[in-house]
Amino acid sequence: MATLEVVRYASKTRTVINVLTTIFLGVFLVWTILPFFIMFVSSFKDLLDAFALPPTGDFRGVGVFFNFSPTFKHYIELFTERNFATYFMNSLVASSGSALVSVVLGAMAAYAMSRTDFRGKDHVFFWIISTRMAPVVAVMVPLYAIFRNLELVGTLPGLILAYTTFNLPFAIWILKGFFDNVPYAIEEAAMVDGRTRFGAFLDILPLAAPGIGAFIVLCILFSWNDFLFASIIGSGGAKTLPVATRELVTPTSIQWGKIMAAGVITSVPMTLLGLLIRRYLVTGLTMGAVKE
Amino acid sequence: MASITINNVWKYYGDTPAVKDLNLVCHDGEFVSILGPSGCGKSSTLRMLAGLEHISAGEVLFDETKVNDLPPKDRNLAMVFENYALYPHKTVYQNMANSLVIQKVDKATIDEKVKHAAELLELTPLLNRKPLELSGGQKQRTAIGRAIVREPALFLFDEPIAHLDAKLRAHMRSELKIMQRKLGTTMIYVTHDQLEALSMADRIAVMRDGVLQQMGTPKEIYNNPTNHWVAGFIGEPAMNFLDCNLGTVSGNTALEHSAFSIPLTSEQSQNLLGSGAEQSVTLGIRPDDVSISTNPSEKHSIEGEVLVTELLGGDMLVEAQIEGSRVTVKTDPSYEADMGDQCYLAFDSARWHLFDINTGSTLF
Repeated sequence: MATLEVVRYASKTRTVINVLTTIFLGVFLVWTILPFFIMFVSSFKDLLDAFALPPTGDFRGVGVFFNFSPTFKHYIELFTERNFATYFMNSLVASSGSALVSVVLGAMAAYAMSRTDFRGKDHVFFWIISTRMAPVVAVMVPLYAIFRNLELVGTLPGLILAYTTFNLPFAIWILKGFFDNVPYAIEEAAMVDGRTRFGAFLDILPLAAPGIGAFIVLCILFSWNDFLFASIIGSGGAKTLPVATRELVTPTSIQWGKIMAAGVITSVPMTLLGLLIRRYLVTGLTMGAVKE
Repeated sequence: MASITINNVWKYYGDTPAVKDLNLVCHDGEFVSILGPSGCGKSSTLRMLAGLEHISAGEVLFDETKVNDLPPKDRNLAMVFENYALYPHKTVYQNMANSLVIQKVDKATIDEKVKHAAELLELTPLLNRKPLELSGGQKQRTAIGRAIVREPALFLFDEPIAHLDAKLRAHMRSELKIMQRKLGTTMIYVTHDQLEALSMADRIAVMRDGVLQQMGTPKEIYNNPTNHWVAGFIGEPAMNFLDCNLGTVSGNTALEHSAFSIPLTSEQSQNLLGSGAEQSVTLGIRPDDVSISTNPSEKHSIEGEVLVTELLGGDMLVEAQIEGSRVTVKTDPSYEADMGDQCYLAFDSARWHLFDINTGSTLF
């Protein structure tokens, strides 16, 4: 039986490659983890502590970095003075709202694309995904004009709509692959069992659940982390966390402590979400690609 | 219970006809098998009956009601699919209960019906398993259980035992027949395996290239095939076909082949008179109706050469060569011969068939 184990044979080249790989991974780890670590630690520091750095080259002085008395004042100020609770809710509503609308409409459209044949289907399918090919900036000005006329600028529904325009094609594209993998006979069995076509569609949804779950996560990540839409379409009434964080940089001062705390507040929920559904996400993304 | 009437039904996929002008009646409580090779339109027919496939032309009646435009859910039927089509995320119990749950039947009744069906199909210990944890035979029984629980007016079975191993298939053949007799539900059973059709069905509809070839009881189809193709398709081992000429021997019509010349019975000659048969015809004779001997006799007069022998337990098949044609003979295992041995054959002229060499239709 074939296994996933990689067979390695000891040799000098192999040893050199192993050492180089380890060094590279070490550097890469520091490179990716350190910014988050500094952000996390600094969010609990006073401004003075945060800027207490050892002289360049003095690696023994690294202890200074950990020599501080922790404070929650940045977090408290964000929520008491800067309305971060509202912005957090805005982020949550905008991203989950858009995910919900995209997944409902996307699943139905993907099901139709998967199960029916009509003239020009390939063209329609390409057209759907082609809407994702232009960069967001390219359509921002006309989009803004449209949204302003519809009085959607600065509202949460406006922001949800804006995210949905970009998430929906993605949803259709991903979910179609999952529906393609569900045997047609299962729906037929459901219809013979007494379901309508729509009922049969609902019956097979659990079979596409890994795909739907994976898509919802990707969708939430996109909207949660978005800055461009949020700053232009959402500006004013529907301010989200990234925009609120940006506003901590004012012409007179850069509030480093608060910025670090805001960074933690923004990234922790997504990290937790990622950990929570990690297994789900991996099976979800690979299952759609492989025909059984 | 329901009777099924199929009137002049056509099915097109694009411009390709899959079912051509099909007329078929299945009486109330009858077990009808639709038999044919793959691509003959048998599954399309079944799917049109189920409402899963649009009927291009013609009409389908359940009792007196035209069902062409009824969705599957309103046709009161249950279907067993070739690949079982169980809901993978539901347990055996939930799979079987599904149709009743949809009908909003109360829980106690569902429980009673599911358990009763499970008992009938010996599924009781498996009720809490999911399809992934079942063997092929268990999946198939679950699929049948799902159909039984519904208590429909019509069962549609689409090659339900095609994927089981040979032994289980033989077992299920008799089980399904007993089940259908017990329930008395009208059943339409699609298969490509003539043995299944012959052993289970009350009547068989043989299809080829979308056209109904013959409809009749297994005996009728086996003994009086309507044409060359049906004769060759039904029966295992298959019927032998030899190209012959019609001649006259001492005043009687006789069948002439380079290896033999045998007079027809007077009844057979009568049958030929009005049929407009030409000089050349095809003789069809089943291996069961040929006998073989190591020594020539008045009866065993056709000389041949043994090509190969196959022992099938209680029977033995001998393949013999007679003047450029091959003939399979079913005989006793006691017959001993090696490749190249001389042998002498006899045809049972009461049981043979003659086919028109051009149209393939049966002359008698």
